[in-house]
Amino acid sequence: MIDGTIQGTTQEADQAVGCRTRFAGLLAPGLAADRLNRLALALRLSPLLQAPAGSAPLAVLLAGDGSAVPESDALWLPPVAAWIEPPADTGASDTADRLAPFLAEAAKSDLYLNLTTATAHDLQLGGRLLAALSARHPLEGDRRDDIELALHEAVSNALVHGNLGVAGMKELSAQELERFSRDLGDRLADPVLAGRRIVVTLRIDPAEDGRRLATVEITDEGAGFTPGPRANSGASGRGLDLIGNIADGLTIEDGGRRIRMRFRL
Amino acid sequence: MDYGIEVRDQEAVIRLRGRLTFNDHAKLRALIGEMGQNKLKRQVLDLSSLEFVDSAGIGMLLIAREEMDRAAKQFILRGAAGQVKRVLTVAQIAKIVPIED
Repeated sequence: MIDGTIQGTTQEADQAVGCRTRFAGLLAPGLAADRLNRLALALRLSPLLQAPAGSAPLAVLLAGDGSAVPESDALWLPPVAAWIEPPADTGASDTADRLAPFLAEAAKSDLYLNLTTATAHDLQLGGRLLAALSARHPLEGDRRDDIELALHEAVSNALVHGNLGVAGMKELSAQELERFSRDLGDRLADPVLAGRRIVVTLRIDPAEDGRRLATVEITDEGAGFTPGPRANSGASGRGLDLIGNIADGLTIEDGGRRIRMRFRL
Repeated sequence: MDYGIEVRDQEAVIRLRGRLTFNDHAKLRALIGEMGQNKLKRQVLDLSSLEFVDSAGIGMLLIAREEMDRAAKQFILRGAAGQVKRVLTVAQIAKIVPIED
């Protein structure tokens, strides 16, 4: 039931154990109604056919075959707070068991996204994340553009250089563009690489100065990288510098597999 | 991203529309090919309808410039606004490519 009646005491207890988001409902565009009902029941969530206007947080399941990518912008806006692509190799019976850990992770953040590279590649995630963030804290003008760029660059790095392992365009030549193009196509066609995951978490907290601070972490499953000085002459390599100029904090962790950005809102 | 080419007397004007990101590699390859094929010396990229560009998009524009240089053609960016103008400025592209309003 989506009634938004979270008791104060429950909320405080949730925060003490790191639970920020208490999901009330589950949406799964493209999934048959009886399967959605069973899955939602097993996860103790309300099955929903479309996002209602209420305020209780919802999770959306995205199918990996592209058929269920939400065309509706509403599925990227509140009250939806998590976007999860279930693991592919699951039978109907144990999907709920395998989804539960994703939802537990999602509950620790204000926004959570866990998708395969194949799905994320087609979604313009930077813009989607910006829309989800700015629906919770209005952003305008240059700051809005800048944060969208930083999110987009971090997602692109995680997908292209991280999960797909495609090297940046080093020389300024059409051949190098062709090589980049071919590598990207080949690796997206590789089910192992295309099945690697990208995880995005976003938290909004009060900052000392009374404003708010957004912390975004983006994690990939690639080989990582060592941040360092870059060559100035190539076609690639500006993304991290742009992020560094825009973000109010930038940390690279886990050998380059996780980037944490902070933005004053 | 989409584009259209208009061949005028003195210059070819290529108008880019939408969002130019790393995902537009195939279109940029086609575009560079088309710019190389028309006979005009001045190749102007009209960015006034471009809404968003990322670092890979900037990199691909630099590749286009380099290829035009090899073909002894002028390559000019024109009409950037909003986010696109801002990124071109931050990345200091004006040092490398002529930018017109």
